[in-house]
Amino acid sequence: MKALESQKDERLQVEAARQDPARFAELYEDNFERVYAYIAHRVQNREEAQDATADVFHRALAGLPGFEWRGLPFVAWLLGIAANVLSDRWRHFARAHEGLTDDSELPGIDDNIERRAMLYELVNTLPADQRQVILWRFVDRKSLREVATELGRSEGAIKQLQLRALRNLRDRIAAPMKEGRNHV
Amino acid sequence: MSDASLADQLDDAIEMMIAEPNSAPPRVDFRMDDLLAIASELRLLPHPRFRAALKAELLEECALPVGGQPVRRSTPIQIHERQNPAYGEILPTLFGAGENTYPLRRGNLAISAAIHAAIIVVIAIGGLLMAKSKFQPDVNSVLLTELSYPTMPALNKGGGGGGGGDRDKLSDSKGSLPRFAREQETPPAIVVRNEQPKLVEEPTIVGLPTLASPTVDSGNPLSAILQPSNGAGFGGGIGTGHGGGIGAGDGAGFGLGYGGGAGGGVFHVGGGVSAPRPIYDPDPEYSDEARREKFQGSVVLWVVVGADGKPYDIRVARTLGMGLDEKAIAAVRQWKFEPAILNGHPVAVQINVEVRFRLY
Repeated sequence: MKALESQKDERLQVEAARQDPARFAELYEDNFERVYAYIAHRVQNREEAQDATADVFHRALAGLPGFEWRGLPFVAWLLGIAANVLSDRWRHFARAHEGLTDDSELPGIDDNIERRAMLYELVNTLPADQRQVILWRFVDRKSLREVATELGRSEGAIKQLQLRALRNLRDRIAAPMKEGRNHV
Repeated sequence: MSDASLADQLDDAIEMMIAEPNSAPPRVDFRMDDLLAIASELRLLPHPRFRAALKAELLEECALPVGGQPVRRSTPIQIHERQNPAYGEILPTLFGAGENTYPLRRGNLAISAAIHAAIIVVIAIGGLLMAKSKFQPDVNSVLLTELSYPTMPALNKGGGGGGGGDRDKLSDSKGSLPRFAREQETPPAIVVRNEQPKLVEEPTIVGLPTLASPTVDSGNPLSAILQPSNGAGFGGGIGTGHGGGIGAGDGAGFGLGYGGGAGGGVFHVGGGVSAPRPIYDPDPEYSDEARREKFQGSVVLWVVVGADGKPYDIRVARTLGMGLDEKAIAAVRQWKFEPAILNGHPVAVQINVEVRFRLY
């Protein structure tokens, strides 16, 4: 029942975005992590993942007037575009590097993608100091000493913060996944 | 295992994962497996700024009217720059990047670049021209006797002098002067050496015929009791000078001075004496002191132009100071003249030269 309501809401969102493209921002907010997680699972670095993600949403916005509702979640359409984007990139890359073949998978939401998307969302729910440590360590690739200097704490304290942040993420990600399984 | 030890091990593993992003998670204590799996996935965590920047781009694209120009798509580098504060912080709004900034219009950017380039070119050309045109103060000079104060022919007075003799041991005998003539055919003599000349001419001394003969007799008053003598000079004439005149001067005139005439000194322009004409007159330099003080004015020099056209006996008649007098003298000393002419012969004359120093 909940799933049906969710689909109905999403359909309304899509219709609204078709009439007023500015409403596309809502669809973007709702689906960014999944699209990014799908792409990040298949590429080698953050820059490439971000570039491909941007490509997907630009294509989606341009193709929104031609979108037809077929009972599938909107993210499935987005992941189809993502698969095409990656495929194009692979073809372009393979042309430049003969011998490589396109091994992109068919689009679909599996547990890995869902888990990764959820993880990326959960980072924003961490306490401020833990979130900052995660961003500096994993996004900006700062050393432990640099992070300690920036936050004015000892390296040992930063290690503890890092440990607590990862434990927090582990616990938070485990809860909804279990909940989802119980629902099934 | 304590938390501290666990945190150390975990951090070591994370360091390895960050150092080699594409490698598999390192093997550690099995109790950390789930944490390392999370850490491994966080390696591709999107930058929060990327998410916001992409949303802004999409909204901008939405805001365009139907049929409008498509929004510029960010290149990977630009997206990377937006989400990475290490890039593009110098001029974050120059390219319309980020939220709350106006979109970049290539036409405007090109016009702006062209205007700036034009301004730079104008400044560069101006600088070059200024560097090439070294400041040159305006300096000129004027012959006062020729240009400023034209003189009328003098009727009854002149200048110059003359002298002569025939190397006699006795001083020249006393006697009255012969008359002045424009040209001298025969120099005066007390002792006539050639008693049988083929052509007899009246002895004269050179000077304007209108000049009155000086009333003072020349020669030794005691000569009446001595042997007659032409004097100790040489070149004909009478006296201790030379040049066919009478007296101690130099030339065919009378008295001190030179070049003919009477009254001492040299000829003055006028009365049949033409003005010398400069044929080589380089301008003087400006003195550093005067240039620094922006000082200007005129120096008047008293100059004798010899029969050979060279300047002699240069003196300052009107001083200016600041080192400009010396500069004027140094310049005029290099001048060359077409000499003054009297009766077809070059004669020495005294002239005044005004040297004007102007800064602009």
